[in-house]
Amino acid sequence: MIELKEISYVRLGTPDLKMAEDFATAILGLEVGDRSKKSVYFRSDDKAHTLCYTEGSPEDQAVGFEIDSEEDLQAAASTLEALGHPVHLGTPSECSARMVKAFIGFKDPTGNSIELVVRPARSGKRYYPTRDIGITGFSHCGLFTTDPVRDEKFWTQVCNARVSDRIGDIALMRIHEIHHTIALAPGAKPGVQHINHQVKTNDDVLAAYYFLTDKHVPIMFGPGRHPTSGARFLYYTGPDGMLYEYSVGVDAIEDEATHRPRSFAFEPSSIDMWGSPRGGIANAPQ
Amino acid sequence: MTIPIIQVSYVRLPTQKIEESARFATDMLGLQRNNAIGSDVMFRCDNFYHRICFAAGPQEHQTIGIELPDESHVEPARAALKAAGFPVRDATEDECKRRFIRQGLVTQDASGNVVDLVVRPSAAGRRYFPPRDAGITGFQGIAVRSTDVAKDLVFWTNVLGAKISDRVGDITYLRIDDRHHRIALYPSNRKGILEVAFDVESLDCIMQSNYFLRERQVKVVHGPGRETASHQIFVRFQGPDDCLFAYVCEMQDVKPGDRPRQFNTKPESLCVWGSECTDVPELALSSL
Repeated sequence: MIELKEISYVRLGTPDLKMAEDFATAILGLEVGDRSKKSVYFRSDDKAHTLCYTEGSPEDQAVGFEIDSEEDLQAAASTLEALGHPVHLGTPSECSARMVKAFIGFKDPTGNSIELVVRPARSGKRYYPTRDIGITGFSHCGLFTTDPVRDEKFWTQVCNARVSDRIGDIALMRIHEIHHTIALAPGAKPGVQHINHQVKTNDDVLAAYYFLTDKHVPIMFGPGRHPTSGARFLYYTGPDGMLYEYSVGVDAIEDEATHRPRSFAFEPSSIDMWGSPRGGIANAPQ
Repeated sequence: MTIPIIQVSYVRLPTQKIEESARFATDMLGLQRNNAIGSDVMFRCDNFYHRICFAAGPQEHQTIGIELPDESHVEPARAALKAAGFPVRDATEDECKRRFIRQGLVTQDASGNVVDLVVRPSAAGRRYFPPRDAGITGFQGIAVRSTDVAKDLVFWTNVLGAKISDRVGDITYLRIDDRHHRIALYPSNRKGILEVAFDVESLDCIMQSNYFLRERQVKVVHGPGRETASHQIFVRFQGPDDCLFAYVCEMQDVKPGDRPRQFNTKPESLCVWGSECTDVPELALSSL
């Protein structure tokens, strides 16, 4: 079984790097950790980066998960190839572009680009936000799935994820005690469905709503509260239509051995118990 | 020596729209109706017999009920009000019956807002059972329009025992117990009860009601927000008449030794989250 330890980063291509950087800093509140000729690296916690925008196509996306060692990386590569997922071993320059010692890239059953990384860099300096948003760190991603039942099997049998709860057939999965680090969302093709950063307090979520509205950033959903994780959330749209989320208070699953996932019906109150109206999105956000 | 006051006991809201007000109180606010006298319609939200009474009549007859500790304070209150130049008379037997109080003095602040100083307001026998799950835990307090804040403060803080907690411009928050405030005075060009506020359990309840009310075309005029001076989370919305209603939670207490702060007249002085009120003159700070 591939042991995912932590979610490490998201890489996004963009045709307009300047706009992406403006958004990531002035709107989202991330800090520029580093930059190269074609990439900007953003920090949200004590990692060297958790989000990287690169000049390119918005379809070029990848989500990185940390695993323990290069031996585990070899084992993971063998497992994936045996299952029919071609594996790409990261070249030295690709590794330094990701600030990792080593990585492999492959596609999940839907076709999402996933990277398993070893020794991702941390920063010596603490994260300092660009605005008073109260971000505590990058927390999780939503991934589109063309077959939620098939993909749940992949993440829980090939990898070490466990289902915390389901909404219809959609699984919210954990790789440590945080309720979910991977959230599946129904979709027609692969892609990152949303990127979540945690904030400190409810006040941060509600103040973000007014700040973003004032700056004419489209609010896609919320402010609301997920009955699954308990988190108070706000979804809004960033560069290239990427859905970003602030939330606070994602539950921890303490009873790892005995936790049984709950089944929520696939309906609005299963996603928001406060009752906010949806803001015109085709796919149900998680 | 000020006259001690215990709490805001009730408000009487005369209206031409008693039916509509009653429906609003039940369906939107989530208050529970209690038996009243004559054409009065009474609602409760905690263990007092009533907190809101809708009565037939003109808006000028809006009344704020304030509880005195007991009968021994009635004569000193009468004397103090007279000495300070505020009109005062006894509540009639009929008025006492209709208000479910044992005794009362009827007076006015300097703006002309009618205030009943009441003794022994009725408690309710059975527990409150709300018609909808609004999460109301009790009655928080009121906001009052003032045409002369300085003179009204003579009434509330020199004659009666309220204390100033904080100010936003001339908006004055008055406390009568540990809570940051129970009565807020807002400068205005007319008198009246501006808002009646209900405590709810949590932010969850505030947000659920926010969406619930908006879905039903109730006008949310301010919030959801967090009030700067008091820390309370609020959502303020329009009732069928002039009066606003609010759900609130998490109001802080005033710590001993805290001195009143002066906030400037900007929207952030009324809400730290960034909500603004443009439709209610007393809350639209750009106009002050």
